[in-house]
Parts: sequence; structure tokens; C-alpha cells
Amino acid sequence: MSLELVCPAGTPAALRAAVEAGAHAVYCGFRDETNARNFPGLNFSPDEMVEGVRFAHAHGAKVLVAINTFARAGAMDAWKAALTNAEKAHADAVILADLAVLDHAATHHPNLRLHLSVQAAAATPEAIAFYADTFGVKRIVMPRVLSVEEIAKLNAAINVETEAFVFGGLCPMTEGRCSLSSYATGKSPNLTGVCSPPEHVAYSEDKDGTATRLAGFTIDRFGAGEPAGYPTLCKGRFAAGGKTSYLFEDPVSLNAASLIAALAKAGVTALKIEGRQRGKGYVAEVVRTFRAAVEAIDAGGTEVEVGRLLAGLVEGGRQTSGAYKKTWR
Amino acid sequence: MADHFRGELPKALRILAAPAGLLPLGPALTLAVRRFARRKPAVFERLGTYGQCSFLIEPSDLDISFLMVPDGTRAEVKCLRRRATQPADVTVRGPLLVLLGLIDGTFDGDALFFNRAISVSGRTDALVALRNAIEDAELTPADFVGVTGTLGRLVDRSVFGGLGLARRFAGSPVAGEPS
Repeated sequence: MSLELVCPAGTPAALRAAVEAGAHAVYCGFRDETNARNFPGLNFSPDEMVEGVRFAHAHGAKVLVAINTFARAGAMDAWKAALTNAEKAHADAVILADLAVLDHAATHHPNLRLHLSVQAAAATPEAIAFYADTFGVKRIVMPRVLSVEEIAKLNAAINVETEAFVFGGLCPMTEGRCSLSSYATGKSPNLTGVCSPPEHVAYSEDKDGTATRLAGFTIDRFGAGEPAGYPTLCKGRFAAGGKTSYLFEDPVSLNAASLIAALAKAGVTALKIEGRQRGKGYVAEVVRTFRAAVEAIDAGGTEVEVGRLLAGLVEGGRQTSGAYKKTWR
Repeated sequence: MADHFRGELPKALRILAAPAGLLPLGPALTLAVRRFARRKPAVFERLGTYGQCSFLIEPSDLDISFLMVPDGTRAEVKCLRRRATQPADVTVRGPLLVLLGLIDGTFDGDALFFNRAISVSGRTDALVALRNAIEDAELTPADFVGVTGTLGRLVDRSVFGGLGLARRFAGSPVAGEPS
């Protein structure tokens, strides 16, 4: 196996769907603010994590536990408990971002394999060397700001594994540093694990279509039949400079399937699929398609038409290769 | 809310389904959900306090809708003859076969929303919680009927097979394909 396929699971059922669809590894989180997908009804209790790891291991797959929000000063108990519970569940690795959580894990859970979350936004050899040397981090999840050429150069300069996102939602390139949501709602993905918390989201319909509101602010309006996106401020439509447009980021999904061979050649160890908030129908379909794509590349075959096969699952009805091909330069 | 969606039942099937409103669907579904809550309480723990919210489920191709309060063993489902006459915390509207596909995990809720195959209004947090709880429940037709073992598998195969055929016939969205 040349590339490890790391797949999302927001629930135990999604974990089983991912494993049965061919995931080499599944990432998931506990049902609290310690992971960056802290949505109502989502995630795992400690008992469910134990059972999930058991199921994955019985089918030859790994489980990586995301504990990737930033701990609050003086209130680290939830993050400490998450590390303890991940180790008790025999997780294959934990995905961390916060320096204090990394330090606690390295000091008190030396047997846990540490991966650096995309939330840490480590994209330079110097930053990565710091995390590797200081805490023993074995793999970094790369922020979605690098081209394939830059990833090849980065891999040549570091001695840890790299994991690259290949499919799913995109952030507007401020991984781990985005506070946009908190200006409207008081909550952000980095601190409380939610971008556009659903209790602040409202949709209303009238004859002109659907209006999306976040904490009372209208951030977008879709005409009847027009593809929709997630209700985040970064993907809202605003009037500026005399015209209304997606000011920060279009509602569009990443799809780097056409770059799988190039990413492998650039030294990437693992390919990551975004979407712990998505249903098991999405998980099964995307994992099955990407597993076939990876195996086709491994066998020297032709690329699988991932874009066409998954067109109905993407945000805004559109796909992009994102920063991997920086065509705007 | 939108009036027409892809994958609605053909007119002939709507006419055939019309007498469904005369059946005691509300009490039957109430019993089924309560029975399921006794068998799988973890599903309702996942739902938390959102179990006390009211969800109006409106099949866009039928003249009936369902008002559900999924409060575990105190759950209640009402079958309403007329649409949009009942206030609810959350309203979900879409073709019957698509809504059923959300329950059995055939469809991804976000993808249906992106493609406007369903429309939603009201408390998004309650809807997200219900969606995630249903996702993990792995509900099958046998769960609703209350049968297990060989008979349960037979019921599941028959109903899923029938639903698959009906979706092809009605032109429902297919997972992975754009609407």
C-alpha cells in the first residue's frame, strides 16, 4: 500500500461505513469541545470510541482520534480526559493542535502516537521540526495552502510523515487561525469546535428563494434550484466595491483526485477526506470511490473519474483542486 | 418553501397513496418510535434535549404531513391531513422517497440540501441533532415493524428493494450524482 486513505466518521455508524467501504484509517472525535466538529448529535462517547476502535482493528483499519481544538487557559480537564480516553480505547494516534495539549500528551501519554492537526497550520520545515523535536510528532496534516511542488520541497526538508486533504470542504486558507465565526456568534472552530454553530443558523424561504442567516445577519440568498453551500461567513455573498459576490471564498469542495499520483510522488504518506459532519451515505460513497482511485494509481492504471462520480455530494455543486494547483499565480 | 422537488411520486402513485391519510398512521408510528426507543436508548441519548423539539416532516408529494416529538419512550407522532397548519420547531420538506432515504442512510442530508432536493426551516441545531441521531441509529424497516431475525431481514430486503425500484421509477436523486 503506497498511500493511506484517512476517512471521516462523525458517528459509530459512519465509522463502520468508512471501514467497510475501504478506509485504511478513520478519524473521529469525542462528543465535546475537544474536537473541531462539535455539532449537536455528532461524535463519540468514550464507550463508543472503545467499540469503534475494536471494530476498526478487527477489520484491519486504524483509528485516529481528533483532539484538535485549543484548550482554554485554566480549563484543560476536557482535553486531558480526551487523551486518557483515546489511550484507553487503544487509538492508533491522536490528532492535536494546541501546544499545551501536545505537551501533556508527550509527557503523560508517551505511548500515544501524535499527529499534528491542520488546525496547527504548520507549513514550514522549521515549524514542523519544532513539533517533531519537542513533542515527538510523527505526522503532520498539511494546511490546504501548499501547491504540489511546495509539498515535494517540504517533504524533502522534514523527517515526519505528511497527510494531505484530497476531498471535501475547504476553509479560506487561514487554517487554525480563523475567528470569523466568532464575530457573529461568539464561537469559533478553534476554541469551541464549531464554525457557524447550528443554533445560530436559520433558513427562511420566500418567493425569491432561500435566505441564510447567521446570528441574525443575512449572509446569503439562493434562488430556487440554485446550488447551496454551508452557512459560513467565509462563504457568504456580500456587496462590496459596487457588486455582490462571494467575497472571501466560493461554496466549492476540494477534489484533488487527479493529483493522487503527484501527491504520492511528492512524498505524501496519507490522503485525507474531509466530512465528519456528513452522513454515512457520503462517507461510504466517497471512501469507496477514493479507494478505487488509489488502487488504480497503485496498479499503474488510469485515473478514476472521481469528479463525475461524486458530483452530487459537493458543496455548491462545484469542485476545485484548491491550492494544489495555484493557477492564480 | 419550494413547491416542487426532483423525485416526487408520479401522479398515479399519489392517487394510490391518498387513502393513507385515513389510516391510523400517527398512533402506529408513535408505537414504533417508542418501541425503538426501548430497544436502542443510545440513539435518543445522542439526541439529548432536542428530543423534546417538534419536527414537521412534509412529504411534498403527499397531502399528509407528520409532526414528531422524538422524546424517547414518550415520543409522539401525529399524522396531519393538511400541510403547514401546525407550528413546529423544525420543518423539513421534500419528496417522500428522498425523506425515507434520509432515514435509512441512502442519502446524505448535506448533499440533498446543497442540491436543493429538500428544504428546511426553523431550528437548525435541532435538525442537525436529529439528522446525526438518525444517521447513527441505522434504522431499518424491521425496526419500525418490530420484528427481528430471519423475518426482520426478509422485511428489510423487501422494503429496501421496493424503495430502490420506486426511486428509480420516480427519478429520485442518486447518491453521488448531481440533482
